[in-house]
Amino acid sequence: MQPAVAQAQQSMPVIGPFLAKMWPVLAAGAAGALVPRRDSRSERFWFAVAAALAVLFLTLLWPDAKVAAEEATATGEYPHLLSWLIAIPVFGALAVLFVPRQATRAVQVITMLVMAAEIVATCLLFKVTPKEGFWLEETVEWIPAWGIKYHVALDGISYWLIVLTSILTPVAVFVSFGSIKTRLKDFCFAFLLLQGAMVGSLVALDLFLFYVMWEAMLIPMYVLIGVWGGVDRIKASIKFFIYTMAGSMLMLAAILWIVFKYRALSGTMSFDLVDLQRLGLPLVTQKWLFAGFAIAFLIKVPMFPVHTWLPDAHTQAPTGGSIILAAVMLKLGCYGYIRFGMGLFPHAAHEAGATLAGVAVVGGIIYGALCALKQNDIKRLVAYSSVSHLGYVMLGIFAGNPASMEGAILQMVNHGISTGALFLLVGVIYDRRHTRDVAEYGGIAKAMPWFAAVWVIVTFSSIGLPGTNGFIGEWLVISGAFMSKGTLGQWGRSQAIGAAIGVILGAAYMLTVTQKVFFGPLDNPKNKRLPDLTRREAIALAPLIVLVFAIGLFPRVFTERMHGSVAAFLQDHTMRYSATPPEKPVLAPPPAPAAPAAKAGE
Amino acid sequence: MEHASSFAPANNWFLLGLILGLPLYGAFFNGVFGKRFGRGAVRFVGVGTIFVSFLASIYTFMELHKLHHHAEAAAKQAHGASPAELVIPTTKLSWLAWHWMDMAKFGTTDRLPIEVKFSVDQLSGVMLLVVTGVGFLIHLYASSYMAKDPSYHRFFAYLNLFIFSMLTLVLADNLPVLFVGWEGVGACSYLLIGFWFDKTENAAAGRKAFIANRIGDVGMIAGMLIVGYYVGALDWDGINQNSERLLNAERITIIQRAAGPITISMATAACLCFFIGCTGKSAQIPLYVWLPDAMAGPTPVSALIHAATMVTSGVYLICRLNHVFAMSPFAMAVVAVTGAATALFAATIGLVQNDLKKVLAYSTVSQLGFMFLGVGVGAFGMGFFHVFTHAFFKACLFLGAGSVIHAMHARIHDDVKSQDMRFMGGLKKYMPWTFYSMAAATLAISGFPLTAGFFSKDGILFKAFTNRVLHPVAATAQTVLNRPECKDLTLTHCKQASIDYAQHWHAPEWFGPLLFVVGIIAATCTAFYMFRLLFKTFWGEFRGWSVDPAAAIAPDPFKNLEPLEEGVTEYAAGHEAHDGHEHAHTDPHDLIDGDRHDDHHDHHDEDLTVPAAPPHEAPWQMAVPVAILGAFAIFAGWLYAEPFHFEPMGHWLHGVFQTVVGHEVIQVANAAKLEWPLMGPGVLAFAVGAGLAYVWYVRDEERVPKQLVASWPRLHRAAYNKWYVDEIYEATVIGGADALADGAALMDVWIVDGILAKLSALIVSGLGALLRSFQTGVVHVYSGVLAVGTLGLFVFFVRPHPEATVMKEGDTYTLEAAAGTGYEYKWEVEGGEADKDFVTGDQATKRTVQVPLDATRKITLEVKNAFGRTAKQTFTLTNPKPAPVPSMSVQGMPGRPPPRPPAGH
Repeated sequence: MQPAVAQAQQSMPVIGPFLAKMWPVLAAGAAGALVPRRDSRSERFWFAVAAALAVLFLTLLWPDAKVAAEEATATGEYPHLLSWLIAIPVFGALAVLFVPRQATRAVQVITMLVMAAEIVATCLLFKVTPKEGFWLEETVEWIPAWGIKYHVALDGISYWLIVLTSILTPVAVFVSFGSIKTRLKDFCFAFLLLQGAMVGSLVALDLFLFYVMWEAMLIPMYVLIGVWGGVDRIKASIKFFIYTMAGSMLMLAAILWIVFKYRALSGTMSFDLVDLQRLGLPLVTQKWLFAGFAIAFLIKVPMFPVHTWLPDAHTQAPTGGSIILAAVMLKLGCYGYIRFGMGLFPHAAHEAGATLAGVAVVGGIIYGALCALKQNDIKRLVAYSSVSHLGYVMLGIFAGNPASMEGAILQMVNHGISTGALFLLVGVIYDRRHTRDVAEYGGIAKAMPWFAAVWVIVTFSSIGLPGTNGFIGEWLVISGAFMSKGTLGQWGRSQAIGAAIGVILGAAYMLTVTQKVFFGPLDNPKNKRLPDLTRREAIALAPLIVLVFAIGLFPRVFTERMHGSVAAFLQDHTMRYSATPPEKPVLAPPPAPAAPAAKAGE
Repeated sequence: MEHASSFAPANNWFLLGLILGLPLYGAFFNGVFGKRFGRGAVRFVGVGTIFVSFLASIYTFMELHKLHHHAEAAAKQAHGASPAELVIPTTKLSWLAWHWMDMAKFGTTDRLPIEVKFSVDQLSGVMLLVVTGVGFLIHLYASSYMAKDPSYHRFFAYLNLFIFSMLTLVLADNLPVLFVGWEGVGACSYLLIGFWFDKTENAAAGRKAFIANRIGDVGMIAGMLIVGYYVGALDWDGINQNSERLLNAERITIIQRAAGPITISMATAACLCFFIGCTGKSAQIPLYVWLPDAMAGPTPVSALIHAATMVTSGVYLICRLNHVFAMSPFAMAVVAVTGAATALFAATIGLVQNDLKKVLAYSTVSQLGFMFLGVGVGAFGMGFFHVFTHAFFKACLFLGAGSVIHAMHARIHDDVKSQDMRFMGGLKKYMPWTFYSMAAATLAISGFPLTAGFFSKDGILFKAFTNRVLHPVAATAQTVLNRPECKDLTLTHCKQASIDYAQHWHAPEWFGPLLFVVGIIAATCTAFYMFRLLFKTFWGEFRGWSVDPAAAIAPDPFKNLEPLEEGVTEYAAGHEAHDGHEHAHTDPHDLIDGDRHDDHHDHHDEDLTVPAAPPHEAPWQMAVPVAILGAFAIFAGWLYAEPFHFEPMGHWLHGVFQTVVGHEVIQVANAAKLEWPLMGPGVLAFAVGAGLAYVWYVRDEERVPKQLVASWPRLHRAAYNKWYVDEIYEATVIGGADALADGAALMDVWIVDGILAKLSALIVSGLGALLRSFQTGVVHVYSGVLAVGTLGLFVFFVRPHPEATVMKEGDTYTLEAAAGTGYEYKWEVEGGEADKDFVTGDQATKRTVQVPLDATRKITLEVKNAFGRTAKQTFTLTNPKPAPVPSMSVQGMPGRPPPRPPAGH
């Protein structure tokens, strides 16, 4: 009797604070349980879990909650966390290989468990206190003879992209389980490998490691499009591969050039970004090398005129592939541009910035939107809208102003959420009707009201309605570009206004397709009995919808984490491009005295 | 401001959170759970939240009033000045919700914090009451109007969301938060116009509204950027305190000309940008086209969004930014001219429309024009007062029209025809409450003396005649010039003042009277079309009997209306339709799938075959709000009865506009004397318009209008078709954008992808084909190629190659000749030593030469190989001033001048 009482007494004080802290989570769970109209207990349960998890995720982010979480775990630092983030999906992929092909359920469960473990590992990231420089740095010699190291680290620039990756990959996989019926094991294997490679390229600081991860990303995606894609999948996958590979080759050449120049000057080989950043290169050399890197990254972004692989790849890719391609892979182009393009070649990047910003506005935002206006294939339209949205991201990066850069990074996340959700939604009707032709639809809001409601919310997010996430990104980018007279030159303000005009076109194409697909009379008999969102689809969409409003209303929760890193990065960048470029390659002394002394062989 | 409320401090008035939160909660509840919990719950939550919000608003307003009173008394006590010069501190209740984001700030790396902050002051306090009060009445009305609609919950979700957005707009304490509401109301408007989305026209109208608003929103964004960039603040207090920075900033050159460029100040630029936003949201020329189409939405929506609240937010914005607008007489003139032009233009269209709601829509556009005319001439208070009165009479008219349509629909069962005034008439008898309310509102909008519309409209016209807007500098100069000593302009400061005054643009003297005349014409038109509406709807005999309800459900209602556009063979149409569609007497419900159709009109269970089911009066939920609004339409004018010097509203708003009115905005000298005389034309406008309508439509039974239409059919058709503005836009702007998009899409497929993907693929495959042709697999061909290759190598080795690598160290150049089988070398330095004969050995391959700075020397190398063949090459060495080249490989061919070591790189 007595121990039970004691236990109750002990548990009472626990329940109180738990309720106080977790009431939003519980409320979200309760609301989620009440939402479904069908009386299916499991549906309610899973919906509640999805809603509660989404809110839990937010509460963990909350500044106050963060303090509480830090109190809970005094240590707070996890030295090998990044390696875990790479290893979990990669080893998960290997584990999937050992599951019998016929045991589809087991394959699914294992994949989801691995991805859940990845999310748990990502949640540990929230406990990392932002500090100067890189966080969670980890260096291991890999191929010492070539100076290749396994050097991974994280900072505020890559932080949210990693979080985005580990949230959206499970969403994409989970929703794909509804439609992928063939070669499921291969599918899961490819997806897990892809996730590992994406996280890997986001944390790699060694150029060799980065290049390996960058290319490793290509293969699973190539397979995803080529095996589970649409009718023209082979053509699209080859186009995707060759386009990206062409850029990668240029980047590889540039990497090798720098590495050998570094060896010529220092006597040792190194692929490490931190080492290579010490190289001062003449402007002409910088321009050529920058071109090599920038083309690789801008193809991936994609920016006009190297964007044409994207509509084909998106159209033919399976739903999950499209989501990941749009949500994460494109962002790696932007990220690479910041980290390596701007990081290694400050003068060239600064000089090209104003021109490229013009390309981003005219060729990306406006041209992409105009192309989107004329698409009859819904997926193709969303793909062109990606071109337009990524124009904002690149404009923010080129503007090189702390706020615009934060806006650009946030816009990457936003685009991942809203365009990921759009592709997911297109996948929903594609699964039902097996067509993406706008003319086949019309009035389906009547048949699928919840689907229509979610689509409209995501559309609002995509066109940047204030209160949703899209607005924050666009507003920070546009205002940043407008204010950054110094970086963008005399055209900065015109570019900002041009980007603002893109907002009109965005509304035009998204609302046109919404009207054609969802509104009007429901006159196609094939659409009359379309089932509404399934449990699986609703659960996959729930976290995205929560994030749409979370970022839209509380963007500071997200930008705060970038703050220090972005400011430091831009300060360093500005300092470096303000100095006159050297006449011939020189090597600056290593910044920290503790670093191994490299002999400057003049 | 020390006054402490018992409820909460003024700087943390969290009741605003409740006022905002309740409608949002209502939207969430109705949207997500509405269907599950049923109509009763939807009605309770949808209407109840707004009602509680309204009560909280009243309490807030009372508190604000108390605070204001307190501050005013304190100011009076402190200064003891005459009331005219008394500066009353603006009172404000504010609530900071959270810190939203940090945007860029020019010139520094620090950020401009944007907070989600709400505040209520005198201006927003009035708007708050209007939005929640009129909003509540309209919600109540809608709860009955929409009662049978299958998407009842969706409707209330949208409507509540709209109230939330509108309150965000009104209560925002800074521009970005206002923009949230600004676009939020646009989005709700989009959703509500397309509420019955199963008709393509409705959905298209919603989209049109959203995109037209978006065009304006770009102006808003640009305006915010300019203000943020130059003023460095986006909240009201910050803008008001630092707005003069806009004048001191650089100027934008518009036109370059010989006599100095024409430039505008940043204040003008910002104001014009904001005004673009206002033209979109408040339906002014050139972006008004969406509002008439927006009538596709349910009638309560037209009343709430497209008459009483959302469309007036442009006027609210200008009033809110009156400090900024007053800095630019030019922008103010643009606002006034646009307002006057819109007032007249829309009124002319309204004269000939037959659709009840279309008349009201154009009337709204026209009335909004009056409001902009008012704020454009600096009559901020009066312009805003027109927002206030218009909310009542126009909401009353729309709701009354809704009741009429509701009643007509019971007869006609056709969306288009039930709104057509040609099928109405005589409804006075059937719906007395609606009639009296609408008649009251019609009197008000037409400017019948002592009604609400009379005071606000005539106030605007009077101010248009007498007000002058001056540039701040010019205004200051004006006060200097008005001093007695400045009769003599030779005094330095007076001279300076006169120069200052002349340097800044202000509207010419004829500007005000012209606006007045335009306004009077527009007011005459207003009185005419409003009474035309009233007479055609409520007077005479009910014409709806002639429409066969069965024929009315013909699938293409527009077709039947076609001959009506001529306006001559009006009544024939119904019969024609009857004849033509006798066979179409099927249940319309079969046409639509299953049981989920959203038609709002399948709810009349009267027997359609009984021809004499008369139109019925609206239920109390509908009639009472209309009556209340009608009462306000009559009496609300006494809140700002300027001619009688009874103006509590003017007094209340004074604090908001006090720094501007009297400084930048001045009145002509004898304005007070003009007040009563200028009322004459206003009253005359009412008399002429209303009288003409009576004579033409009641006494003469439309003889004259028919004659007019017959004599000028093209003019009538042009006016009926809204002067073809939509068609013009379609051909120019939309067509242009469409062509551009077509071009872009084609370019993407054929040029961009063509060159980058298809052409490069073609080149690669061409190269592949070429190389493949060598891989024949025929041994003879391979051995033949082998023989040719061997021969080539042989030739290469037989010829000597006098090549050398040039290395430089300071001024010393070292040439090292390439090695080869049995090579012997002979060097000859120009103007120096020369080898006599060919030599071999380690030393022979090298030769060192001194080349002074900026000098050039030539060295000739002759090589003899094992076959005894010789060849020669001359190297020209130039020592340029900067010497950056560490090593250089020069290859030369015999007989050709060798390449010079390049200078520089």
